[in-house]
Amino acid sequence: MPVMNSAYNGRQPNEFKVLTELEGIPNSRSLEVYKKHGGYAALEKILKGKMSQEEVINIVKASGLRGRGGAGFPTGMKWGFVPKGEGEKYLITNFDEGEPGTYKDRYIAELNAHMLIEGKLIAAYAIGASKSYIYLRGEFYDEIAWCEQAIKEAYAAGYLGDNVMGTGFKHHMDVYIGAGAYICGEETGLISSLEGKKGQPKLKPPFPAVKGYLGKPTIVNNVETLAVVPWIIRNGAEAYKKFGTEKSAGTKLFNISGPVVRPGCYELPLGYPLKRFIYEDCGGLIGGKKLKAVIPGGASAPVLTAAEVETMTMDYEAFAAAGSMLGSGAVIVIPEDVSMVEVLENLMHFFKDESCGQCTPCREGTGWLLKMSRGILQGEGQPGDEKKIAEVAGKMMGRTICTFSDAAAGPARSIPQKFAHEFLEYYKKKSSAHGQG
Amino acid sequence: MAYVNVSRDPERNFKNGYLATSLLGLGTTLVTFTKQVFGLEESNTVQWPEVEYQYSDRFKGAHFLTKRPDGRVRCTACFLCATNCPAQCITIVAGESPDKGVEKYPVRFEIDILRCVFCGYCEEACPVDAIRLGPEYSMAGLAERKWVYTKDYLLERDAVKRKVGEKQTSKKDENVKHDSVDSSLPNIHIGGSDGH
Amino acid sequence: MSNQVTLSINNQSVTVPAGSTIMDAAQKAGVSVPHFCWHPGLSIAGVCRFCMVKVEGMPKLQIACNTPASEGMKVDTVSDEVKETHKWALEFHLINHPLDCPICDQAGECELQNYYMKVGKYQSQMEDQKVLKPKALDVGDTLVLDTERCILCSRCVRFEDEVTKTSTLGIFNRGDQATIGTYPDRKIKHNYSYNLADICPVGAFTAKDFRFKCRVWFLKETKTVCPGCSTGCNVNLFQNSNQREYYRLKPRHNADVNGHWMCDTGRTMYEHLNASARLASPLLSGQSISSAAALQAVADAVKGLSADKVALVLTAQYTNEEYAGVLSSLKTVLKGTPKVFVWRDESEKADDFDGILFRGDRNPNTRGMMDVLKEHAIQPTMLKGDFSALAGTSPEVTVVMGPEIEAGYPNLQKALSRFSEMKKAVYFGNSLTDAAKKFWLRVPVKTFAEKSGTFVNFNGVAQKLKANPPVFTNVKAVDEYFAEVGKLAHTAG
Repeated sequence: MPVMNSAYNGRQPNEFKVLTELEGIPNSRSLEVYKKHGGYAALEKILKGKMSQEEVINIVKASGLRGRGGAGFPTGMKWGFVPKGEGEKYLITNFDEGEPGTYKDRYIAELNAHMLIEGKLIAAYAIGASKSYIYLRGEFYDEIAWCEQAIKEAYAAGYLGDNVMGTGFKHHMDVYIGAGAYICGEETGLISSLEGKKGQPKLKPPFPAVKGYLGKPTIVNNVETLAVVPWIIRNGAEAYKKFGTEKSAGTKLFNISGPVVRPGCYELPLGYPLKRFIYEDCGGLIGGKKLKAVIPGGASAPVLTAAEVETMTMDYEAFAAAGSMLGSGAVIVIPEDVSMVEVLENLMHFFKDESCGQCTPCREGTGWLLKMSRGILQGEGQPGDEKKIAEVAGKMMGRTICTFSDAAAGPARSIPQKFAHEFLEYYKKKSSAHGQG
Repeated sequence: MAYVNVSRDPERNFKNGYLATSLLGLGTTLVTFTKQVFGLEESNTVQWPEVEYQYSDRFKGAHFLTKRPDGRVRCTACFLCATNCPAQCITIVAGESPDKGVEKYPVRFEIDILRCVFCGYCEEACPVDAIRLGPEYSMAGLAERKWVYTKDYLLERDAVKRKVGEKQTSKKDENVKHDSVDSSLPNIHIGGSDGH
Repeated sequence: MSNQVTLSINNQSVTVPAGSTIMDAAQKAGVSVPHFCWHPGLSIAGVCRFCMVKVEGMPKLQIACNTPASEGMKVDTVSDEVKETHKWALEFHLINHPLDCPICDQAGECELQNYYMKVGKYQSQMEDQKVLKPKALDVGDTLVLDTERCILCSRCVRFEDEVTKTSTLGIFNRGDQATIGTYPDRKIKHNYSYNLADICPVGAFTAKDFRFKCRVWFLKETKTVCPGCSTGCNVNLFQNSNQREYYRLKPRHNADVNGHWMCDTGRTMYEHLNASARLASPLLSGQSISSAAALQAVADAVKGLSADKVALVLTAQYTNEEYAGVLSSLKTVLKGTPKVFVWRDESEKADDFDGILFRGDRNPNTRGMMDVLKEHAIQPTMLKGDFSALAGTSPEVTVVMGPEIEAGYPNLQKALSRFSEMKKAVYFGNSLTDAAKKFWLRVPVKTFAEKSGTFVNFNGVAQKLKANPPVFTNVKAVDEYFAEVGKLAHTAG
């Protein structure tokens, strides 16, 4: 079992400000405020200090920063996969943020999009990309405007262009607006969409780091991952590693939703106790309701029961050990009076609608899971159906191009396994209804 | 090596010889004949054609084709009966039905009844309950009669109508087609109750 | 790095070029890995997820079609885990499949059916309503699309994108509503459309030409060569041998000639083979006579003539063996070489090529014919629109070996009228056209499906035809006729 990190005892969340430094500061989105708080100093340090690409990558590697989009792949290592030398390379920011319950990237853009731009510039320098895109979900009207405004300001201030800060480093940035498909948050799906094709994940190999956007080496990073990079460069890898656990370094934005007293976006160090987060920082459940379950990392993360929440810490390893995942850090709290069958049906509806329809197990499986769970909800189920759902979901796992079907299978396996008794009630309802004639 | 000697019947004697058994049989005939002449016993002989013998409902006689509730032929011209037929007496010519929900139907459906061995394999093979072996058994006729049963004959035969009546309309579940078969556009969210 | 890698599949060692996939290696090793979306003639899509195999050292099963083979790799395709995966992959393919096999033309050669028998055989757990999609869509002059039967393997989309580059097809919508369809206001219009029906592993695309005509299990295939043009695509010719009726042609893979495909024009090469489209018996001045009588008439006509009084008009639609046989028979009878003409259609553009397979030279054996004539040291005279060369020699007997495939001769009527004007014009061919009726003598001949001979394609590749039993038993090949004529003339003389 993961051990609670005693370092956090007694410390308040507002003591861990890495990304949320500008929280509460008036006019935080402006370039001036950002610069006043150390903005673009990291970029200057790299460009003016003539740091090499390897040095930058090594700092990020040393910081232990892992991808904040969900998979948790070490960022420095990912950058290192890009072939060295000349040639066109691309950096893409995944600002699709489609995982239900997640709103951390939007929060970053709301605080200050320059964090992202500076992070992107550093990453682009590290991999040698001269062009980068911010792939934004079409529904994010405000965020689109904020990002475009920040890019305009950055161009005006000389942080972007053919000659960044007079150092000869060339970088251009653009915003690309997607049409709002969950699957375009998957890196190859995103690349397909950016290329103007139907948003469908691509076959790997070749991996995007070798052959991505327009067939060129491409790195796709989450907004949060990139936005934290300037802080790491400014303060050093060691400072970042002070937060979090050994394998899950740093802080992370957690979004909590559900009937808690203070829902919202919290910056917490990884390894923070989940129970303390829900009951102390978020003030517990509204009306003193009992906790039934928690989906810890967005819709695709398998659920945790209230008993599992007791000892859980919020880091990659602890969640993985419990069979779930940290994902995007979207904590969804489910109170005692919500039926898990309804939760399952709701999630399956989401996954059925969002499957791109490319791979057969996912295309047919997600539809089937929805039909089965809806059938149970409508009282048409029969004993054993919950096992069938878990079985079908199990057969979808690890058999498709992308991990979407694993994501759909996560809740579809865990809910029937952990809450089988709730399904039985639905079957009983059916038989009693029949009995009454 | 063990073997059975079949050269001579070991039970051969006068009692089960030819003459004795023939006389025994003749005796039985005479006794029954006499009984029936004097009305002491019912005759098993049916006075056909004045009297018609009632076979079991499951009797496999001449074929008929069943209909859909709207009166059209049920057969979808899948050729499974023709494939299965050991006598190769079924000829089907399939065509495109104007009803897109049906798609395929038999333009011609013919059974060469002289070749048919009434095995019932066609009925067994049929996936849509379109062909059945009916109760009709008196199919005799003269040489000039048409011995190839056509689709119309198999569908609208008076003898069959009289005997099976409503049963000629198959109650088997209709292969119900959704309106989408008439659409040229991919349909999105059929039954869209979820209003997504 | 060596450019060969050796791996083992089910403990069987196989060596393939570096860069090959496990699927390529499996094909080479003769191990069958079930697949739907993978097609050797198209790019890799990797979407059906059917070809999953176990690779030692990899935690998850991998798809054979996109996993590169590497040195020392150990692949397993028969373990229980793999079998279970195949079974489930099939279940996922079938849950929304309408299972209308009775009315589906693909039944009998359907991959879903085949794989169900091979790797499936389970009781389906699907009890819910299937997804309904449009059926029997008209997507062009040649094809009907049933989107319900479709398993979205995307072979057709890739074929349109990669082979014909017409990009008419796409996948619309997503999830289980994903549907193959043509883009708005576009139809499949190219000369390779029937290949879509071939590569479709299920019955989503069915050929209008073959639709509902015959169930495939009645058909017997013959491996032969398409006579439609000088490419000489390798084909399978399908005949219902009980009915003596030909129904269709399908391409047969030959990397050196046609790859995996053939054109729609070639697909019509069965039509002239059936009895209804053919001349059944010889006609002397319009009167039906026996073959023996017809040959006697020919023998009588040529007997005693000097070689230059006999004109032989050839079309390049006969086999090498036939040309050789006819020439040697005639040489014996006439004690010399007759005048030889080669009849080409006046509109022919022999060097045309559509970039894929179809060539402007609509004769299958131009190369072979020229080779045979060269062997016999004959310099033929070309008849292309201008027939004065033939008329100028004023022959007593003109023997015309007419084209079997008349579609390649748009000006056939005109040419036949000219030939029939000649003295004692004998026509070998099955033409039922009005112009052919004017010939003095018409003799039916065997078609390409009924003879075993050699065609030499534009590239010099000699390919063997394979004979089926003839539709009309009295009809013979033209060289057999002339051998007979030779004997008759000999005995008479």
